Amino acid sequence: MTMIAGIGFASPWLLLGLLVLPILWLLLRAIPPAPKRQPFPAVTLLLGLKDDESLSDRTPWWLLLLRMLAVAAAIIGLSGPVLNPVQEHGGSGPLLIVMDSGWGGAPNWEQNRAQIEAELSEAGRAGRPVAMLRLTAPEPLQFLAAAQWTRQLAGMTPAPWVAAPAQVATALDVISETDGGFDTLWLSDGVEMQGRSDLVTALAERGEIDVYESGAPVIGLLPATYEDGLIVLHAARSTAGLAQEATVQALGPDPSGTERALASATLEFDAAAHHTEAQLALPMELRARISRFEILNTRSAGAVSLTDDRLRRREVALISAQSSDEGLALLSPLHYLRQALEPTAELLEGALSDLLPANPDVVVLADVARLAPAQEKALIDWVDQGGLLLRFAGPRLAASDTARDTEEPLMPVRLRIGGRSIGGAMSWGEPKALAPFGEGSPFYGLEIPQEVTISSQVMAQPDPELASRVVAELSDGTPLVTRKPLGQGQVILFHVTANAEWSTLPLSGLFVEMLERLAVSSAAKPPVADDLEGTTWQAAEVLDGFGRLTDADTLAGVAGPDLVEAPSGPELQPGLYTSGSRAYARNVLREGDDVLPTSWPASVPVMTYEGADERPLGGLLLGAALVMLALDIAAALLVSGLWSPARTAAIFLMSGLMLGVPQEMLAQSVTTPTDLTAELTLAHVLTGDAKTDRITSEGLQGLSNVLTLRTSIEPAPPYGVDLETDELAFFPFLYWPVTEGQPLPSSDAYAKLNAYLRTGGMILFDTRDADLAQAGATSNAARRLQQLALPLDIPPLEPLPADHVLTRAFYLLQDFPGRHPRGQIWVEAAPEDAEQVEGLPFRNLNDGVTPVVIGGNDWAAAWAVDQDNAPLYPVGRGFAGERQRELARRFGVNLLMHVLTGNYKSDQVHVPALLDRLGQ
Amino acid sequence: MSQPASSRNGIADIPAGQLRTRAEEAASVLPPLLVQAQQLAGAVLLGEHGRRRSGVGDDFWQYRPVQQGDSRRMIDHRRSARGDQQFVREREWQIAQTVHLWVDQGQSMRFASDTNLPRKIDRARLLSLAAAVLMIRGGERVGLTGGQLPPRRGNMQVLRMAQHFTDDDDTPYAPPEHRALIPHARALFVSDFLGPFEELEIALTKAADRGLRGVLLQVLDPSEELFPFAGRTRFEGPGNGVTHETLKASALRDRYLERLAERRDALERLCRAAGWTLGLHHTGDSAQSGLLWLYHALERRQ
Repeated sequence: MTMIAGIGFASPWLLLGLLVLPILWLLLRAIPPAPKRQPFPAVTLLLGLKDDESLSDRTPWWLLLLRMLAVAAAIIGLSGPVLNPVQEHGGSGPLLIVMDSGWGGAPNWEQNRAQIEAELSEAGRAGRPVAMLRLTAPEPLQFLAAAQWTRQLAGMTPAPWVAAPAQVATALDVISETDGGFDTLWLSDGVEMQGRSDLVTALAERGEIDVYESGAPVIGLLPATYEDGLIVLHAARSTAGLAQEATVQALGPDPSGTERALASATLEFDAAAHHTEAQLALPMELRARISRFEILNTRSAGAVSLTDDRLRRREVALISAQSSDEGLALLSPLHYLRQALEPTAELLEGALSDLLPANPDVVVLADVARLAPAQEKALIDWVDQGGLLLRFAGPRLAASDTARDTEEPLMPVRLRIGGRSIGGAMSWGEPKALAPFGEGSPFYGLEIPQEVTISSQVMAQPDPELASRVVAELSDGTPLVTRKPLGQGQVILFHVTANAEWSTLPLSGLFVEMLERLAVSSAAKPPVADDLEGTTWQAAEVLDGFGRLTDADTLAGVAGPDLVEAPSGPELQPGLYTSGSRAYARNVLREGDDVLPTSWPASVPVMTYEGADERPLGGLLLGAALVMLALDIAAALLVSGLWSPARTAAIFLMSGLMLGVPQEMLAQSVTTPTDLTAELTLAHVLTGDAKTDRITSEGLQGLSNVLTLRTSIEPAPPYGVDLETDELAFFPFLYWPVTEGQPLPSSDAYAKLNAYLRTGGMILFDTRDADLAQAGATSNAARRLQQLALPLDIPPLEPLPADHVLTRAFYLLQDFPGRHPRGQIWVEAAPEDAEQVEGLPFRNLNDGVTPVVIGGNDWAAAWAVDQDNAPLYPVGRGFAGERQRELARRFGVNLLMHVLTGNYKSDQVHVPALLDRLGQ
Repeated sequence: MSQPASSRNGIADIPAGQLRTRAEEAASVLPPLLVQAQQLAGAVLLGEHGRRRSGVGDDFWQYRPVQQGDSRRMIDHRRSARGDQQFVREREWQIAQTVHLWVDQGQSMRFASDTNLPRKIDRARLLSLAAAVLMIRGGERVGLTGGQLPPRRGNMQVLRMAQHFTDDDDTPYAPPEHRALIPHARALFVSDFLGPFEELEIALTKAADRGLRGVLLQVLDPSEELFPFAGRTRFEGPGNGVTHETLKASALRDRYLERLAERRDALERLCRAAGWTLGLHHTGDSAQSGLLWLYHALERRQ
């Protein structure tokens, strides 16, 4: 590669083409651009005028320059210029490339890889055999051709741990097994590991060592802790010296389940500090959602801190049968539970029916024998969906007949009558101690204090399944804690009371630990190895070197103490581990860990990465040439008057305006709830049929005009209601034209409609088919109406009686035509006991407004007017038609009066009778 | 049944809707022109009114003392009874003149160098119509040359004239129409006068023979006056007839302006010989100034 002015050229001889430029200049200069066409009526005056030869026009200099530049760019671009071409440095013989390949190098992985690629290609050109050694996963050295490694390089990823002493030892073995000398190229992550100096010594014996290191500090995120209501985020970095800032995001699922950033905090390192922390105050609900913290824009497993149960406080509902008694706090069945759970869980107390909708994680029933059937069913459903029901025995349970003969769903075992009492004043035996926990028990590994004794318990009936359900037993083999799965959840019964009446268990620390193991409470402090003694944990998700969570497919289980204490490695990969319903987040950095910088002996040269990457400029220059040629076309058109930038800009502007207009119109049509509630608004249901919706809207506008003119009702312009999205409570009256193809509303919409009808709204269903359905024939629209109205909460209906208040709410009417005359109208049936008062033409019907009016007279079409208040659709013929339209309007007025004033008119008809009775 | 209604009625291929659209399009030219012309004329009338000389007419002009030679019946007794002196009541001179208009409707007039400028033909029509409005208000008889629209008075004439102004002529350079001129009338010729000079000569000579005097108003686009062109340009005359290509338009400017001045001199000479007045109006100027000049030019030598 030839270097000219810091730029390498792949084929420099092409640059000779630049010599052609002056010739091109002369050529182009001689050929003027095409003439500009100019309409000019005074051309008659120009006829016969000759051009002065010496003054013949030439291509403008700037156009010429543009073309020259374009051609020059093309020539230079084709000659393959490269900025910062890689310069070879010497060396011969085999080459070993050592990579730390831990999480610390993950942010620079691409850079690392590019560096290795460059080295490999250089080694390939020099014909040197190459071997690669990844310290996090050492394998025997293989000296191969560089090209083979180049192919494998793409598949290499950093590991989410730092090489442990065991791996370093393996690496030393591998090196010692190899014969002969070789040079070493070491790509370091910048994070210190144990045994690095040994490796350096071993490698230095074989040849020269070159080290590449980015030099930037490596930041790691330590596990977040929860202190005094705040989440505290800790971070460490490898090298101090400069003040530094990093943003940490708390990620987790939002209510819809999509993962997003729930909160963020800024970590600020002081110039001299290696450690820093940030605090994050989050509400409980949000805190429980957090699944991990991540340093923004740092792709590394060390920059991710997974969270487990520790940040999450479980909601525990405490329910006891006894009414609260102030004097007997220490005897309360819930007292010790409260004490045990208070620090680590959110406690809910109250009635079960109130607490269950809050969907707690755990429900504790202390000595509750019987539940109401509805509550029991709700509780079973809740457990079925993953709830944990924790029951304690007690005198009531012992005395009741719960689960005597048959196994009940909410009781793990059948119980014997009465229970037993041991070691009391009236019994023979001594109080019993606990037997050591069996291996399958969730309590396995917990230490049993000597002072825990049990003096009373409820006894389980011997059953075939009994043995499998016992998770803790007394020294005599009688069950103390039994458990059974129910659906996705489980039911656990402590055969003793939750207070110290029957046993000393609630007084001991074991009680708290047992609750913790049952995931009733979650530990606020990280567990130590002893806490997890005897448990086996299975990886659910593991981190890769870049900090991405991946499924842990077939990783072997890990013993509890190892999970806390062992260093990460291939056997213990950082990630989320589960055991039963407990979760433990094993992070790359553990609490109190440090990120140490690497230390190299003075004999080893440490280089940072090459300042800039090799960068081919050919594409850039060719692109520039193309752009300039495009500009040249525009300029040539401009010079010859065939194109005017102003006009093009105007066209763009126009099209922009055109695009802008509909949005503006849309913005105008949006009506806010404030607008709707400020005035009375007549509403109609949008059917999805544009024509029907338009007619209905026009109809309601016409009716609004009539109302404004004739009555004190002055409605705002009508509003089309989308049943799915709009709130109905603002509208006293809904006009619902029924079309054949109308989709059925969703169940949510029906719930809204039923609430609307219950709270006094009125719907006018109009099948608009009175011309077809008059003789009792059922039209398509009527059938659709039946389907639409089926889920609606509609009272019994009857054809509109002659004394209905609709006949006299404003106008006296007996006929309610729309566009079709005399269709049947249905309203809510009058009560059975309505009686006609002597001497009055009307029955005593003053109760309620009919929630629905059903008809098919197509009133909207009869009401519809245009902007000039002129009727839009024909009604009837001639004067009779106009009379019919007038009656339709009067019906509308009566209907709205009925909606808004209720049975006021119905009351008023009794005034004479009332006055008569009062003796006036 | 599916045949369109128009062919059943025997109307040629233009569909009814299209015909109507075209008609409305054509008609839409009229009102703005009329309104503009009326407005323009109104502005002029505001400042300048009356003939300001005594003569035969209906309106009162002045009282003057009786002079020798006045017959006794000319004495205004109502005025004279107020004092010892005797007065004669004079009336303002009012006489109907006949004015012939000719507006060049040729293709050369349909030109505007810039979208913001009106076309020459639009300005010419506007000025002529406004002048016609003024003259008709002044009681003159106004008509078009060539017998298309004989001189008449009354507002209807303005409408008829506006209607005639909507007809475009496809001749590249329309020659002046000099037929059907009434002797001793006045005339107003509006054009760019860039066409063949002989035609104009003939027309003016004929008019002068008949004792007509009048005004030539040359309406030019600013670009025709300034010649702001440069570079290789192909100048195209109206109707794709005459073209002239040059390699360097800027070099032509001086010689073009020279020729334009020559043409104007020739016009001037011709006018002087025939006793006419020559005016120049640019479409870049306001129509008001053009109309004022026209008004005064027509007023002169009454």
